Amino acid sequence: MTIHEGRGGPQKQAQQARIHQGIVPSYLLAKLAESERYTRAAEAARQTLIAPAPAEHRAQLSLSIDENGSLVATVEAAPNRTISDAHGTETLPGTVVRTEDEPTVADVAVNQAFDGLGATFQMLLDAFQRNSIDGRGLPLDATVHYGSGYDNAFWNGERMVFGDGDGQVFQGFTASTTVIGHELGHGVVQHTAGLDYEGQPGALNESLADVFGALTEQHLLGQTADQATWLIGAGIFTPAVHGKALRSMLHPGTAYHDPELGKDPQPADMSGYVKTTDDNGGVHLNSGIPNRAFALFAVELGGYAWETAGSVWYRALTGGLSASATFAQFAKATIAEADAVSPSTGDAARTAWASVGVIKATGDERAAG
Amino acid sequence: MSEPPADPPVGIPVDSDAAGDDGVAIRVARSGGIAGMTRRWSVQPSGGEAAHWIVLVEQCPWDEKLPRGTGADRYSWRIEVRIRRERHEQVIPEEHLRGPWRALVDAVQEADAGTAAL
Repeated sequence: MTIHEGRGGPQKQAQQARIHQGIVPSYLLAKLAESERYTRAAEAARQTLIAPAPAEHRAQLSLSIDENGSLVATVEAAPNRTISDAHGTETLPGTVVRTEDEPTVADVAVNQAFDGLGATFQMLLDAFQRNSIDGRGLPLDATVHYGSGYDNAFWNGERMVFGDGDGQVFQGFTASTTVIGHELGHGVVQHTAGLDYEGQPGALNESLADVFGALTEQHLLGQTADQATWLIGAGIFTPAVHGKALRSMLHPGTAYHDPELGKDPQPADMSGYVKTTDDNGGVHLNSGIPNRAFALFAVELGGYAWETAGSVWYRALTGGLSASATFAQFAKATIAEADAVSPSTGDAARTAWASVGVIKATGDERAAG
Repeated sequence: MSEPPADPPVGIPVDSDAAGDDGVAIRVARSGGIAGMTRRWSVQPSGGEAAHWIVLVEQCPWDEKLPRGTGADRYSWRIEVRIRRERHEQVIPEEHLRGPWRALVDAVQEADAGTAAL
């Protein structure tokens, strides 16, 4: 028998070897604990057997046969999802309608939320070796059918909440993987840098949520950066609306242009930076600037955006970033992380931030902010 | 980097010209949400309608210090009122839009279909 402690590099394997509660039967753990051949798996199994098992941690065990005919067991972190239904009220959390081990239900919104949470969990794990939004297997809770004709989806600090839309402009928010990934992305930001939800740090908070949302969709669909739409919230509008999505990360300001809604107001660079007291200082408007920087960076690097580009942004977010970080401070952090990958990656990051006016073209990342 | 442009029109000015016959004007703006779209509603009651609106306005605790909102992508409500020479303004995180605040906003929304202009 061959034991693989999950896909990925040594860091991921080490992390996954610590994730053990729930699905792996105790008799298998006991057998593994005695193994002299698979020392890392044996140590993980011993730790599992002696450690108290937090109920919220889950793992999945995959069995397969390799080319040599050996049984391969892969232990990997798994999500712990609970979907509740608010039944058109504004009372949270509502009644539980689907939990992790239950099959699909008749309600499409419930299944969409469940699947979207799973897609986000898997992207975080595969791309960043992050076990859920807190890195420690936090259960993922969501509520659907919130409010009456409620035109929004939000993160309340503990769960994702989705309205059904008014049916005229918006047709429900669970249909978009990017929206679900966005809301979970706010959870990741909350559990890492904790960026203030106001002004430039607030716009960075929004932008990072969009990055997580876009990466979730691209990871789910297996898209490279040049294949991706870079749209956030595609499919949210009804057919009556002249628009393709809520936002375009690659081309901010072009997502919709509708007689009733007006034109997408997102600026694409610092020359259009919006000063306002509404929307916590325009956090959903000015996020277009760092959004475009990330999309340009990812497209320039090519390949899967969650790999190098996503990892650079993720390490900047989780590497000691201040909660009050400005665009320029975040640019500096991402450039440092990109330089650590390779000089050409660093140059691509500088070019991206210079393209949106956050740093000067000369590469001085202290120029703006 | 070029200098950011001047502030675009934000909030809702409540001036005497916009008020109704009895000098009452109520304007509501909802910003934020994942879409980041701002919607606005307003009423300028006249004649006998004004008294009803004044009652709704006076039930609101305008001097109340509201805590900041929590989480992300929630709505932010701005309510501006003018009653003759008296002016009120309050910004309310969605989760704190309750009681008399909610009653006032609901009434304004019921009286006006609103606009999505930014």
